[in-house]
Amino acid sequence: MIELTIERGLLDDNDRAAQVNRDRFRKAGVYVLNLMSGPGAGKTTLLEQTAQRLRDRLRMGVIVGDIQTSRDADRIGRHGVPVHQINTGGGCHLDARMLEAALDAMDPASLDLLIVENVGNLVCPAEFDLGEHDKAMVLSVTEGADKPAKYPLMFCQSRLMILGKVDLLPYLDFDCDAAIADARALNPGLEVLRLSSKTGEGLEAWTDWLVGRWRAVREGR
Amino acid sequence: MHEVVVAQQIVEAVVDTSLRHGGRRVRVARMVLGELACIDPETLTFAFMVACRGTCAESCLLEIRRLPLVLRCRECGAEGQRAGPVEPCSVCGAIGGDVLQGREIRLTTIDVDDAGEACGKEAGIEAIMSGGGLPSRFRA
Ligand SMILES: Nc1nc2c(ncn2[C@@H]2O[C@H](COP(=O)(O)OP(=O)(O)OP(=O)(O)O)[C@@H](O)[C@H]2O)c(=O)[nH]1
Ligand SMILES: [Mg+2]
Ligand SMILES: [Zn+2]
Repeated sequence: MIELTIERGLLDDNDRAAQVNRDRFRKAGVYVLNLMSGPGAGKTTLLEQTAQRLRDRLRMGVIVGDIQTSRDADRIGRHGVPVHQINTGGGCHLDARMLEAALDAMDPASLDLLIVENVGNLVCPAEFDLGEHDKAMVLSVTEGADKPAKYPLMFCQSRLMILGKVDLLPYLDFDCDAAIADARALNPGLEVLRLSSKTGEGLEAWTDWLVGRWRAVREGR
Repeated sequence: MHEVVVAQQIVEAVVDTSLRHGGRRVRVARMVLGELACIDPETLTFAFMVACRGTCAESCLLEIRRLPLVLRCRECGAEGQRAGPVEPCSVCGAIGGDVLQGREIRLTTIDVDDAGEACGKEAGIEAIMSGGGLPSRFRA
């Protein structure tokens, strides 16, 4: 028997494809955000609201990943922004090669802001670099405040945590401060926004955040 | 949760390594898996067994070494094992810390036969690309 050393990391292929995407985004001058959450946390609803509010300020596009159906793309497309659906056909996350293929359907150079809605899953999407500038995540208050402690990786990787569906807080015993404290124990620099896509509370701070990040990336900050 | 994808990546790396050294049959593949990596070892072992079929790694043993979570306290700098990522520091009680160990999903070495017939290309990447034993929806 001979023992051989493995010289190749499991994510090497993905990281190479992510670098290709990153170079492409830089040349195109587009700011790219990877938006993640558990299933049903409210990503698509938030992007519908975002499209309505931002489409006259920024050239915005959306690529959305789901296991099946083009329902999310249809919903977002109704708000007058270009949108492309990826179906992973069983895959529990987007990877850099799937995004690369989708970029042929949506020219990044025609956009200022590209938001990638990842597959609804609180675990796997955080493992895969897509070549994006930032990762952001939604934790909806219906999911429980223990999620940062139980599913830490996504909270570690994100620049921004959105506490979503805050209109429902009166009906729940979700402890916002505890959730934020646990998330910041994992990731001290984590930014936090509270919002509701239903009432519109906090949506302006969110669109301002997007415009601010777009500007900062464009100016190389 | 994406054990099937990880298993396929492991098989690719294992087969690739064997083929670079003559393509002999693989008997053991060794890896380290951090406690914080969201991978269930039993599910991974099963998915690996399925994904190996038809390759030169078919029916090889997957040895998984678990690595406990090790954090460095952001307040006092103490380094040590913790039961979870938001558990308090045993020295000063501060919550959480920087992860020093626990996220690893990494292959280390494989054992291959030093004699015997080399497996041809058909037992290599082609077998993986055609799906090996994976259900069709997971094929590339
Ligand atoms: N009360 C309330 N409900 C919301 C809010 N945002 C979304 N919802 C509801 O939550 C459900 C799921 O919303 P989606 O936007 O489809 O969630 P998603 O994260 O895109 O879901 P997947 O893509 O399947 O992971 C829908 O019934 C929405 O109407 C909110 O701010 N408040
Ligand atoms: Mg959605
Ligand atoms: Zn300490």
